[in-house]
Amino acid sequence: MSQVTKPVADRLLGIALIGLAAFVAVQAINLEVPFSYEPVGPRAFPLGLAILLAGLSLPLVFKPGADGHWPHKALTLRLLLVLGLLLAYAMLFTRLGFIPTSLLVVAALARLFGASNGKALITGVLLSAGSYVLFTEGLGIALPTGTWLAALI
Amino acid sequence: MFDFLIEGFGVALTPLNLGLAFLGALLGTLFGALPGIGPINGIAILMPLAYTLGLPAESALILLAGIYTGAEYGGRMSSILLNVPGDAGAVMTTLDGHPLAKKGLAGPALGLSAVSSFVGATIAIIGLTLFAPLLAEVAVMFGPAEFFALMVFAFSSMSVMMGKDPIKTAIGAVLGVLIATVGVDSGTGVMRYTFDMPELYDGIDFVVMIIGLFAISEILLMLEHAHRKDGDGELPPLGRVFVSLKEVLYCKGAMWRSGLLGFIIGVLPGTGASVAGAVSYTTEKRLSDQEGTFGKGDMRGLAAPEAANNAAAAGSFVPMLTLGIPGSGTTAVLLGALMLYNITPGPMMFTERPEVAGGLIASLYIGNIVLLALNLPLAGVFARVLTIPRWVLVPAIAILAFVGVYQLHSDLTAIYLMLIIGVFGYLLRKLGFSLAPVILGYVLGGLMEQNLRRALSISGGDTSILWQSGISLGLWIAAASLLVLPWLVPRLLARRHAA
Repeated sequence: MSQVTKPVADRLLGIALIGLAAFVAVQAINLEVPFSYEPVGPRAFPLGLAILLAGLSLPLVFKPGADGHWPHKALTLRLLLVLGLLLAYAMLFTRLGFIPTSLLVVAALARLFGASNGKALITGVLLSAGSYVLFTEGLGIALPTGTWLAALI
Repeated sequence: MFDFLIEGFGVALTPLNLGLAFLGALLGTLFGALPGIGPINGIAILMPLAYTLGLPAESALILLAGIYTGAEYGGRMSSILLNVPGDAGAVMTTLDGHPLAKKGLAGPALGLSAVSSFVGATIAIIGLTLFAPLLAEVAVMFGPAEFFALMVFAFSSMSVMMGKDPIKTAIGAVLGVLIATVGVDSGTGVMRYTFDMPELYDGIDFVVMIIGLFAISEILLMLEHAHRKDGDGELPPLGRVFVSLKEVLYCKGAMWRSGLLGFIIGVLPGTGASVAGAVSYTTEKRLSDQEGTFGKGDMRGLAAPEAANNAAAAGSFVPMLTLGIPGSGTTAVLLGALMLYNITPGPMMFTERPEVAGGLIASLYIGNIVLLALNLPLAGVFARVLTIPRWVLVPAIAILAFVGVYQLHSDLTAIYLMLIIGVFGYLLRKLGFSLAPVILGYVLGGLMEQNLRRALSISGGDTSILWQSGISLGLWIAAASLLVLPWLVPRLLARRHAA
C-alpha cells in the first residue's frame, strides 16, 4: 500500500467484524440442540450470517475507505462526559428519584452543550418538573420517587 | 374492491382517530422541524409514549403515520431556512430552497414546499389505494419460500440503492439480522446469545433498540455541533407568507412528474425518500432547466424533490402493508410497532384486519389535508422551532428516551442496554454506516429465519424448494442481477472502449 496516510478505521472495523463473526459462529456451533423434527434447527441461520459477515468484512480489511472525521481530544473528553452523565442518570434514576436526577442531569447536559450556568439551572428546573407533570398526570406513567429518599423518611 | 377504504374511513373519522391524526401531524411537523431530528428519530422518540396511551392498534398506527408524514413536512424548514437538511431525504430540498430564502422568498418557498408535498403525497396515496389491494391479492399466493426470496431481494435492492457504500449497507443489514437472533429460538426453545441474562430471553426489545440506535446516538452526534452557530436566532426574514397561485401553477409539471416518480421509487423495497428526492431533482433539471436557473433558487427545483419526498414516504407503505416488507427505515420502525400489537403486516391484513389497513390509508388522506391546512398559515410559527437551542433540545431528548424505555418494564437493565446500543449506533454512524439497513435487518431478521425454516420443514430439508416456484426464482434472479449489474456494466463498457 503506497498511500500517504494509511486509513485505519475501516481496517480495524473489518478485523473486529471478523472477530464478531467467529464469536457468533462458535456460539452457534456450541448450542445444545434437543431432538426435533425440524430439519434446520437453531444453528444454521446464525452460522450462515457469520459466514456472510466475515465475507463482507474482507474488502474492508484489504481495501479500506478513507477515515471519516473523528473527534479531536477535547471533543472526545466531552463525549465521555456526556456518556458518563447518561450512565449516572441511569444509576440514580430509581435511587434518587425522577425529579432530582433529571434536574441534575439536564443542568449538566445543558452546561456541556454551551448554556450558561443560570440558563442551565433554569432549563433543569423547568424540564424536570414540566416533564414529571406531563408524564404522570398526562400519560399516566409511574415514575420513580427515589428509594434513598424513602429510606430517609 | 374498495370496501376496505369505506371501512377505513369509518375507522379514521371517529373523533378519537381524527384527533390522533391531527395530533400526529402537529407533533410530526414540530419534531421534523427540530434541528437534527429527522422523521425516523421523531418516531423513535415518540413511539414509546404512544404506547402508554393504551390505544388500539389502528389508532396507534394512525398516530404514528401522522407523525411520519408530518415529520416529512417539518424536515424542510431547516433545509430551506438554514441550509441544514434534517435527514437524507431533505438534502435535495436545500439546493433551490435555501437560495430562495436568501432572495427574501423564504415564506413563498415554505408555502410552495407545503403545496408540492401535498400534491406528491396525494398522488402517492391514490396510488397506494389502487395498487395495494392488487399486490395483496398476488401476495396471498406467497409461501414461506417466496417470502424468504422476497426478503433477500429487499436486502439486495437496499444495498445497491441506499447509501454511498454498498458493502457497509450490507454489513449493517447483517448486523441487524444478527441482533434479531438474540433470545429464545421459537422453533426449538434453545437460548441463543442470551449469556444467561433473563432480560435477553425475549430478545432485544424493539423500543430499546430504536431509542438507543437513534435517540442516544443522536445526542452523542449533536455534541460535535454544540458550538456551531446554526439557528441561534438568526433566521432569514420570511417575506410574504403565502405562495401565489401563479407560482404554484408554474411548478405543476414538476410536481406531478416528481410525485409519480417518487411513488414508484417509494414502492421499491429499500429505497426511500432520499433516493426519490435525488432522482426527481436530476430528472426535473434535465427536463426543464433551459436557462440554468436550477440551484440558484428555481421554484421548480424546490417543488420537485418536495413532491417526490412525500410521495416516496406514502409509497413505501405499499410493500409494508401488502408484503410486510418495509420500503424504508422509517416504515421498518412502523412495521416493528405493528408487530408489538401482534399484527404481522402482509397480504392477509386487507382481509383479516381491514380496519387497520383501511384505517391507515384513510387517515393518510385526512392527515395530508390537515398538514396542508396547518402548514400554509402556520409556517412562521413552526419556523420558530428552529431557534430552540441545542442545550434545551438535547436534555429533552434524554428525558424522553429514558422515560420511554423505563416505562416498558420499570427496570434499569433496559436503560443500560439502550445506552450500549446508543454507543454502538454512534460508532456505526461515525464509520460511515447508515442506520436504516440495521433497523430493517433487525425488524425482518426474525421473519426471514422463520420463513426459511418453515420452507425447509415443508420440503423435509430439500433446499431446492427455495427457488422452485416461478415467483421465488424471479425474485432470486432480480436480487442477483441488482447486486451484479452495477459492478458488471461499467466494466463491460470500459472493455468496449478499450477494444
